[in-house]
Amino acid sequence: MSRTARWRRAIFVTLLLATSTALAADEEYRFEASEFARTPYEIGGYAEAEPQYFRLNPGSAGYNLTYPDGAPGSVHGITGTLELYGKYTVDIASVRFRAHSDVERYNTGNDENNKLYEGVFSLRPNPGFTVEAGKQAFQWGKGYAQTFVGFVQRPKDPDDPGLAREGYTVANADLIRNFEGPLQTVALTPVILPVNSNVNSDYGSFGHTNFAAKLYLLYRDTDIDFMYLSKGSRPARFGLDFSRNLATNFEIHGEWAHIWNAQTSIVDSTGKVTMQVGSPTNYMGGLRYLSERDTTYIVEYYHNGAGYNEEQIGDFYGFVDRIFGQVPPGPPNALQSALNLYQGGYGRPFAMRNYLYAQASQKEPFNILYFTPSVTTMVNLDDHSFQVFPELLYTGVKNLELRLRYFFVVGGTGTDFGEKPNSRRLDLRMRYYF
Amino acid sequence: MRTLLFLLLGCFLALPVAAAVDGTQILQKVDRNLEPESYESYRKLIDIQPDGSSKDYVLYTMKKGRDKIVALFLAPASDKGRVTLRIGDNMWLYIPDVGKPIRITSLQSVTGSIFNNADILRVDYTAEYNVEGVEEHPDAYVLSLKAKTGEVAYDKLRMWVDKQQLLPATIECYAASGLLIKTLHFKDVKDFGGGIKRPATLETDSPLHKGYKSVMLWSGLKKAAFPDEIFTLNYLPRIEDLRK
Repeated sequence: MSRTARWRRAIFVTLLLATSTALAADEEYRFEASEFARTPYEIGGYAEAEPQYFRLNPGSAGYNLTYPDGAPGSVHGITGTLELYGKYTVDIASVRFRAHSDVERYNTGNDENNKLYEGVFSLRPNPGFTVEAGKQAFQWGKGYAQTFVGFVQRPKDPDDPGLAREGYTVANADLIRNFEGPLQTVALTPVILPVNSNVNSDYGSFGHTNFAAKLYLLYRDTDIDFMYLSKGSRPARFGLDFSRNLATNFEIHGEWAHIWNAQTSIVDSTGKVTMQVGSPTNYMGGLRYLSERDTTYIVEYYHNGAGYNEEQIGDFYGFVDRIFGQVPPGPPNALQSALNLYQGGYGRPFAMRNYLYAQASQKEPFNILYFTPSVTTMVNLDDHSFQVFPELLYTGVKNLELRLRYFFVVGGTGTDFGEKPNSRRLDLRMRYYF
Repeated sequence: MRTLLFLLLGCFLALPVAAAVDGTQILQKVDRNLEPESYESYRKLIDIQPDGSSKDYVLYTMKKGRDKIVALFLAPASDKGRVTLRIGDNMWLYIPDVGKPIRITSLQSVTGSIFNNADILRVDYTAEYNVEGVEEHPDAYVLSLKAKTGEVAYDKLRMWVDKQQLLPATIECYAASGLLIKTLHFKDVKDFGGGIKRPATLETDSPLHKGYKSVMLWSGLKKAAFPDEIFTLNYLPRIEDLRK
């Protein structure tokens, strides 16, 4: 036997010995599938407490319109949340729900919310065909912080994009087909969304039965979606998105959407409101990259063609300044108009044209187990104001998640983030899953 | 002339040895001995930390063909309902709260353990690797495997295969740079019924994560047939319905 062969044999024998030695120590591992037998029903959820502290930004447009009667220098208190989900299945039929309740206790006031986020009846006669009816929360689009193609869903909170959101009452179907070859999957999701004073009343104008659809393709290892919303409660729109892994640690994604005859309320600095009609195009591109040091980077660029330009947003801030430059603020109809505009568009996230969203998160730095710090920023590329929030996440206790975040905004008077109601924010979320 | 004769004789003697050991056939048998081409199973993943503390995950898994696999998290409660899907080199994670599948990559780990997504959603070795070489030892074959594409998690594998059972005993996983990323130890060969006899335990350690260990345990592994439609993004929220 050659020296190399003897060496290899020695390695192999060592490996076998190591294997058999460890085998003896394996008695502690026990696992029986029967312990996880399925039941027709399932229920779960989480309970959460979140103390929060906001340092307000007096004089900003957001502050004046959020607290028109004035407020202390800071807002602090706690929000308690209970979210329950459940499902009951019999043969081809199932019912599922997700219910959300929260209680807010703050120095500026108290509030309570109870909402059924989802409640869906589903029939699946075969694996390739499902029909559903009820309140359903769709999640179309590929963007992490925001999506331009979520035509039948509520917008994300960019400060917490992973949160479950309330759905709309719809009837929908799902048709799936698989193929051999470069086109591997085709799935069609048609949706009917009625809007009247009792159903989906916050979706858009009443008296319409809206039709939307999403066509999904898995083509040459790329996810591709095409979305459409018919003209009705909202203007007609068409969109598409894609995502693809370019390497074992690198993913790219993007969205594109076009809206026909979209109406936007524009106000000048005197308070005169005009309705502008246009057909904007929105798009985004993003990537996710995992480095060798276990750092995950997410970067996204958003172009909101339907957003306000610097002059338009400046006019709005000027209008608000004029109202609050008087004592008492007024006149009342102008204040109400400003409030409506703020809630309708000027005060929403991504209100302007160009944004950058970036996040870097590090898995278990300094060998601190189950600990993931991250830092996220959202930059308005038009006026260069921005928001940053470092975050510390700990998941070392079974079913318990602890998250500490500190937000701060950087931006002068008349800028997007400089006119937000808060300049600083600290929150600690303690969530227990059951 | 004598040299030429020796060379010819050497080639003649070497031929039967080379013909007797077909690495690709061995790897195909390893694939089928580990699992039927289409199966369902339950797995427990245990991450053991240097201080002895551990975290467990339980997954229900369905596989069809050589490269379609889906896994549903049954425990712990914080991860319940999550689903991971793999079709070839494509991987996705569905989180019920987020409500939409997001693309994940093979080197990430949905559990945060030494097992990465490629380990948790492992497809047939023959689907991802070519056999570059095989060594025959008294008790084992040692296969040298090379990834078919750059999208495979490990560029090279060295697989020790038990000669009698044609099951893997140890696999060393290497990056393209030649760096040893981790070692997989297959243990505790068990009869699952239905002609399936395979290791019920897989342990892994990594020189990159000294002191850490991850363990995968199998139970309820059996042949099963599934429609193609369940291996799609649209089906992920309903995967639980397929459990018996």
